[in-house]
Amino acid sequence: MSDSFADATAQAELVRSGQASALELVDDAIARVEKLNGELNAVIHPRFDRARDEARGALPDGPFRGVPLVLKDLFAGIEGDPLHEGMKFLRDAGYRSDHTDELAQRYLDAGFVCVGRTNTPELGIVPTTEPEAYGPSRNPWDTSRTTGGSSGGSAAAVASGMVAVGHANDGGGSIRIPASCCGLVGLKPSRGRTSLMPDYTPIDDLLVAELCVTRSVRDTAAVLDVLHGAAVGDTVRAPAPARPYRDEVGAPPGKMRIGLLTHNPLETGEIHPDCVSAARDTARLLESLGHTVEETFPAALGNPSLVGYFTTLWAATLVYNIRYWERKIGREITPADVEALTWSLFELGRAISAPDYIDAQHATLGLGRAVEEWYASGYDLLLTPTLGEPPVELGTFATPDEPMLGFIRAATFVPYTPLANMTGEPAISLPLHWNGADLPIGVQLMAAYGREDLLLRVAAQLESARPWIDRVPPVHA
Amino acid sequence: MTDPSLLDATAQAALVRTGETSAAELVEGAIGRIEKLNGELNAVVHPLYERAREVVARGLPNGPYTGVPIVVKDFDGTLAGAPYHAGNEALKEAKHVATTTSSLFRKLEGAGFVIVGKANTPEFGLMPTTEPQAYGPTHNPWDLSRSSGGSSGGSAAAVASGMVPVAHAGDGGGSIRVPASMCGLFGLKPSRGRISLGPDEHESWAGLVVRHVVTRTVRDSAAVLDVLQGYMTGDWYTAPPPARAYTGELGAPAGTLRVGLLTSAPLGLATVDAECVAATEETARLLESLGHIVVEAAPPALDDATLLETFTTVMLASLRADLATVESEIGRPVTAADMEPSTWASYEAAGAIDAGAYVAALTKMQSWARHAIAWWLDDGFDLLLTPTLCEPPPVLGDLTDPETGGGRLLPFVLFTAPFNVTGQPAMSVPLTTSASGLPIGSQLVAAPYREDTLIRVASQLEQARPWSDRRPAVHA
Repeated sequence: MSDSFADATAQAELVRSGQASALELVDDAIARVEKLNGELNAVIHPRFDRARDEARGALPDGPFRGVPLVLKDLFAGIEGDPLHEGMKFLRDAGYRSDHTDELAQRYLDAGFVCVGRTNTPELGIVPTTEPEAYGPSRNPWDTSRTTGGSSGGSAAAVASGMVAVGHANDGGGSIRIPASCCGLVGLKPSRGRTSLMPDYTPIDDLLVAELCVTRSVRDTAAVLDVLHGAAVGDTVRAPAPARPYRDEVGAPPGKMRIGLLTHNPLETGEIHPDCVSAARDTARLLESLGHTVEETFPAALGNPSLVGYFTTLWAATLVYNIRYWERKIGREITPADVEALTWSLFELGRAISAPDYIDAQHATLGLGRAVEEWYASGYDLLLTPTLGEPPVELGTFATPDEPMLGFIRAATFVPYTPLANMTGEPAISLPLHWNGADLPIGVQLMAAYGREDLLLRVAAQLESARPWIDRVPPVHA
Repeated sequence: MTDPSLLDATAQAALVRTGETSAAELVEGAIGRIEKLNGELNAVVHPLYERAREVVARGLPNGPYTGVPIVVKDFDGTLAGAPYHAGNEALKEAKHVATTTSSLFRKLEGAGFVIVGKANTPEFGLMPTTEPQAYGPTHNPWDLSRSSGGSSGGSAAAVASGMVPVAHAGDGGGSIRVPASMCGLFGLKPSRGRISLGPDEHESWAGLVVRHVVTRTVRDSAAVLDVLQGYMTGDWYTAPPPARAYTGELGAPAGTLRVGLLTSAPLGLATVDAECVAATEETARLLESLGHIVVEAAPPALDDATLLETFTTVMLASLRADLATVESEIGRPVTAADMEPSTWASYEAAGAIDAGAYVAALTKMQSWARHAIAWWLDDGFDLLLTPTLCEPPPVLGDLTDPETGGGRLLPFVLFTAPFNVTGQPAMSVPLTTSASGLPIGSQLVAAPYREDTLIRVASQLEQARPWSDRRPAVHA
């Protein structure tokens, strides 16, 4: 059996050099999913037969030809495959995608073979993957704890070695949060870096970015190389990179000027000491590599009212999404069809006026402009903990009697990640720290708009200075 | 020296550069022409003569347009220290003065242009004619009884009459192309994201609004686009940068372009006047004589009613949000007395739009745009040719007549507004006149982000059938 901890770049090389066939890699991945999924509940729609058929057929001759992949069950639809977005409503309707979207197609065109679709909280709303429709995903480092969310199924699949790459998307931290919880690399690209066509909603242009979680920096860079670029209809287009992202891996990053932020700028709770130590420890590591770290950050981020704007944008979009699925399935959605928190946010969203939405959108864009000016004043990166706490126990955010309390509680867990969604800037979570309980504690690096190149250069430098590749969770293949 | 009122900005700048005239002389000349003509035209509503003289006296930046006078619209951007009334009575009464300067005005001044006044606009730019109650109608220099178009009608009248060679304009549904067509000017609406709205604004009307200028010559529009285009720190989105300067497209071979011709109004919502059809067909023949291929074809999406629904929802919601800004500027809630009855009706209608409906409209708008744009990319067309307007310039009062309940507006936006939704570059070219001597523009729309194609073909058309010798009845 192939090495379950070979990254995707290495697996692709096995196929290219003839040391393994696509079918062997896919069969091995399927065996690992079958072995581990009972414990982890990462993959909710196995796609084993289609994957084997595709692996036997003429795969596209892309850089990842024959490498097994999981796609998150939120966006990235493949025609004919289930797409339930964590909803009982769609599960019970037996919904299947009626088209393949641009992002999924680009994954397939790169030669990846999708072996299954992974678990997600309902409509990707909460930062933990515990949908009522499919039950909780469990963290391979401690199965009583969260994988994070909303790409928690993909993160558990990659961290446990089922596959090397899991598709993920991030509208408030949903790539970086599970990357931090599961000890993975998670890059949220710049606004407009990856295509949203054709399943566009306005929030996507503003807050959401698509990519993946991986174990190695080079895999993230190479996946970004195959996914980036606008399709017809994309309004927001990030400026094209000067060279392939994989060329940034190992390129000298020079001496960077880095701001450090370790308190909670949104005032949604204290930052856990483990998270503060992880960021401070990384600051020292960066200094030892020749960079300058200063205790400073863009003043515009220290604004608790950002939470309200963020909630307004999400709640209004939720109203749109609910109505979209009602039209698609042909039936009204009632409180019995969705989780209590989803319904509460839907009701909140229905009370928001169009000018309030526009106001929140403009406040968000104003924040982006102010933070960009901070970078333009001479800073290259901003360093923060990825999360406000170590991975929490499963069930922490479930407050069935007062659903909004759980939502508010989650804000303590994720005080940093939504900032990059609001500014549209790229941000990466790196697995540089484990706490006393051997739980992964990620650190986040943020950069100016369009500067994924800087993040990948520094990430690769940190990866080689303090490699994490030998860290293996208790539940693994 | 040639009379500067007959020269475009490029030629005026050359006079200053070679020392044949000075910035002060050009600016005084423009002030003199405004003083002479404005009584008839009502193009300029806020003269900024003292500011202009001070700017010249302080010393101008050395740019491509050093010393050339320009007018900016009293909407679509703010100039610190100058009035900003947007054609609105409440802001006029409050004597509102802007405290910040929009980046495109900074760039115009940085290029050496001297702002000598602010031009008339319909209230909040909502009409394709410039007849605000607060400031009265702007008259068309070709026929004073007729509309100069809108919403950049003050700017267009100022340029057409020779007051200034270039005037700033904005376009959320046709407001650059409509007045250009009515006043016999060249009006290029750039791509969404080509010119930044920063630093105070991020986007306007959900991306429908773009800004640029109206000019008499193609080269002026191209050269000013070179000055204004480009990313500003923190912009939400930005158009991909051009391969070379837009002035490099002037006179460059246009090759053989595939052009679709459309002469019937989208959705059949208006009858296109025979003179406008004939003018467009004449442009088609001219394009053919230049080696291009013209076929009767248009994006099928133009006949999908989604367009109109979503445009209206987005426009109304945005207006209501903009009025919240006015409330903060005048320091109290707005009432019916603060605006024109039709604006108040729109404001009230917008109150019923919730965020979910707004988000749904944005989504549908984007989806419609994707289908429309596919015609250029998938069907292999370079350009769409249409009349800019369904009718020649209407008489003043026609479009604003309360009896019609806004029903007369559609013929003047049906061909232009769809391309605010798609964000494509589009231009009105002043190639023809009606039997009674009124300008009739032709609109050409290029694939996304292809201003280069538009400028190349516009420059070819201008050379083949020059319009610079045609002068309106009222001219300096």
